[in-house]
Amino acid sequence: MNRNYLAVWTILSVSLLIITLLSFLDSISVFGVEFKSSGIADRLTQLPDTTIANSGSVDDEKVVMETKFPAPLDTASQNILIIGDSMLEGLNPRLAAYAKENGHTLNSVIWYSSTSKYWGTCDTLKVFLRKFKPTFIFISLGANELFVRNIAEERDAYVKNFLKQIGDIPYLWIGPPNWKKDTGINDLIEKNVKEGCFFLSNGMHFDRAKDGAHPTHASAALWLDSVARWMPAHCAHPIKMKKPTEAKGRPASVTVLQPLR
Amino acid sequence: MDLSTVIGNIWELLKYEADRPMIFSSGLFWALFVVFIPVYALLKNRLWQMILFVTAFSLYFYYKSSGIFFILLTCTSLLDWTLSRLLVTLDVKWQRKACVWVSVVASLGILGYFKYANFFLWNWNAMVEGNFQPLDIILPVGISFYTFQSISYIVDVYKGRVAPTSTWLEYLFFLSFFPALVAGPIVRADYFIPQIRQNRHATTQETFIGLWLIILGIVKKAIIADYIAQYNDLIFQTPTGYSGFESLMGVIGYTMQIYCDFSGYSDMAIGIALIMGFKLMKNFDFPYKSKNLTEFWRRWHISLSTWLRDYLYIPLGGNRKGTIRTYVNNFLTMLIGGLWHGAAWKFVFWGAMHGVGLAVHKACRPWLSRIPDTRWVKVVAWSVTMLYVSLLWVFFRADSWTDSWLIIKNIFTNFSLDYVVPFVKVRYVWLIMMAVIIGAHCLPQRWHDRMLDLFIRSPWTVKLILFIIVVQLVIEFMTENVAPFIYFQF
Repeated sequence: MNRNYLAVWTILSVSLLIITLLSFLDSISVFGVEFKSSGIADRLTQLPDTTIANSGSVDDEKVVMETKFPAPLDTASQNILIIGDSMLEGLNPRLAAYAKENGHTLNSVIWYSSTSKYWGTCDTLKVFLRKFKPTFIFISLGANELFVRNIAEERDAYVKNFLKQIGDIPYLWIGPPNWKKDTGINDLIEKNVKEGCFFLSNGMHFDRAKDGAHPTHASAALWLDSVARWMPAHCAHPIKMKKPTEAKGRPASVTVLQPLR
Repeated sequence: MDLSTVIGNIWELLKYEADRPMIFSSGLFWALFVVFIPVYALLKNRLWQMILFVTAFSLYFYYKSSGIFFILLTCTSLLDWTLSRLLVTLDVKWQRKACVWVSVVASLGILGYFKYANFFLWNWNAMVEGNFQPLDIILPVGISFYTFQSISYIVDVYKGRVAPTSTWLEYLFFLSFFPALVAGPIVRADYFIPQIRQNRHATTQETFIGLWLIILGIVKKAIIADYIAQYNDLIFQTPTGYSGFESLMGVIGYTMQIYCDFSGYSDMAIGIALIMGFKLMKNFDFPYKSKNLTEFWRRWHISLSTWLRDYLYIPLGGNRKGTIRTYVNNFLTMLIGGLWHGAAWKFVFWGAMHGVGLAVHKACRPWLSRIPDTRWVKVVAWSVTMLYVSLLWVFFRADSWTDSWLIIKNIFTNFSLDYVVPFVKVRYVWLIMMAVIIGAHCLPQRWHDRMLDLFIRSPWTVKLILFIIVVQLVIEFMTENVAPFIYFQF
């Protein structure tokens, strides 16, 4: 082989080999800085049956009904705050349409790549509670923690602290839309929230975006429709969630927080 | 680890996935290129085996991006080549012209069907207030690019600028050459076809320039463009949800995003081709340094603007038919250039406004040339150009007219400096990315040359470490929604 080709080939193949090998390690950390994995190992070794089929729409029959009680409907117009990770990009437009239809006000705080650890170690939530004074909170967190090891021990305190900040404000935690079996985040949330405050999304079928993780906007809209249908009979504090005539809307405000580096 | 699972997963990865076109910055392309290089190196000295191998790889590359449409590409190339061979055997002018017309009409007809059929049906429907279902048409990736290459080939053969290739395989190699296949640069027949027969090996310097361009392209596209897109997308998705200052940042962000995205792709394409021993046309030359719109179009998407100049503007009469016709030709060229970008009125408007801008600049030239070329004049000229270009990007990017106007209105009516400090606190990474690309754009050419020189002369271990660092940075900043190149859709 020509020397030039050999040089380029060596650089490309050795780097590919290193990045691939590193992806087989649980975590890589240098001087306390944790590096993300390329995910090559996961992609190569994942079992076909662990991938949720990329077809079909949100399947309500798969939704596990978590609670038994129908609580009285709060007919007042709500000041809704939705907080969470990048899943909000899909949920926001549909929830905004619900808010408009039912006379609620919606403010949204997206913290990209956030986890219960993010929200549970700082008082960011309190800042937004003071700012927006919500009367109802939707939470969509957990997608970035599906595969955390020893999650029950590691994240329990963060989830508790996060929920403590919410206090008595009615809330609903929309569980992450699993694309693989999680290591226990759904169980952890369920264990810590009040009864009727957790919507289990695991087991639902979603059309996924290109990354294979996020539901498409259309699928996310159906996801929220499922939440809205679930709320009257199972939510601890059901609010008006009449299905909107418009497909999507715009929140009164969207605050975006960048991932922590 | 079960080996059969790994093999099964690799097999699945190699199959066509409609929502995952193969892009140069993906891990899959990287792995395939590692396999490609040694085979290519072994066959490089055997011309026909090399041509066959690269063509097969290119068609697979296209299959991975566009599925079954690789057959369409193959058929188009067969028709073009047959007509070009027929053309050179004919002496009668009208018969020669007929060959050109058949080829051009076939190429444009295919493009028109896939790209514009629904657009025209929608407009027809709106005019007659009809009720119809849009056709279920999937746009083959990169069709606009290879259609222009196909037209350039038949016209160049007709004009005698290039001899037709002796074999269909050679022509298919030209049309399907994978580095430039799906998003350019638009390869011109008279420039590229002679290189096939030359079958030149890249020099050591060219090889490492190629590698440098690949690294640069990855940084621009997969790190900067994809990261800053997260914020820009929010602004364009929710135009009323942000203050004027935040909207302004979104507009500036998109201005840099589209540059990084597209020029990053071009850098990678040029770099890969250069490593293979082929030179592609430079596609970007620091466009945001331009001090007028004419200069901007000499620096932005150069392969498209020169194509439009040579195959549209000049045949329309160029500047040979008087002042008014020059302006009209300019305007029409840009209008069609706008429509080439996409089947929507917003692209037509974007192109038309660039056409108007070019015509106005041409008309004002005699007056402008009398102004002394001082530093302040340069600053004003650059500011006006950037303002115009950036505002037109709003129409190019926004989902609708309403959204475009809302964003612009928001910037001018809802602007407050109160948002500056919170913005800096929250979006400092976005600002750092912007500062990096704006800073790099402003550096003098000699600095870029110096960095390139340092890279070329560095030991291979340094190059390896740099490459790994860049790849890890891509992984660190990878957004959950990995975006294909913006220009794929064109």
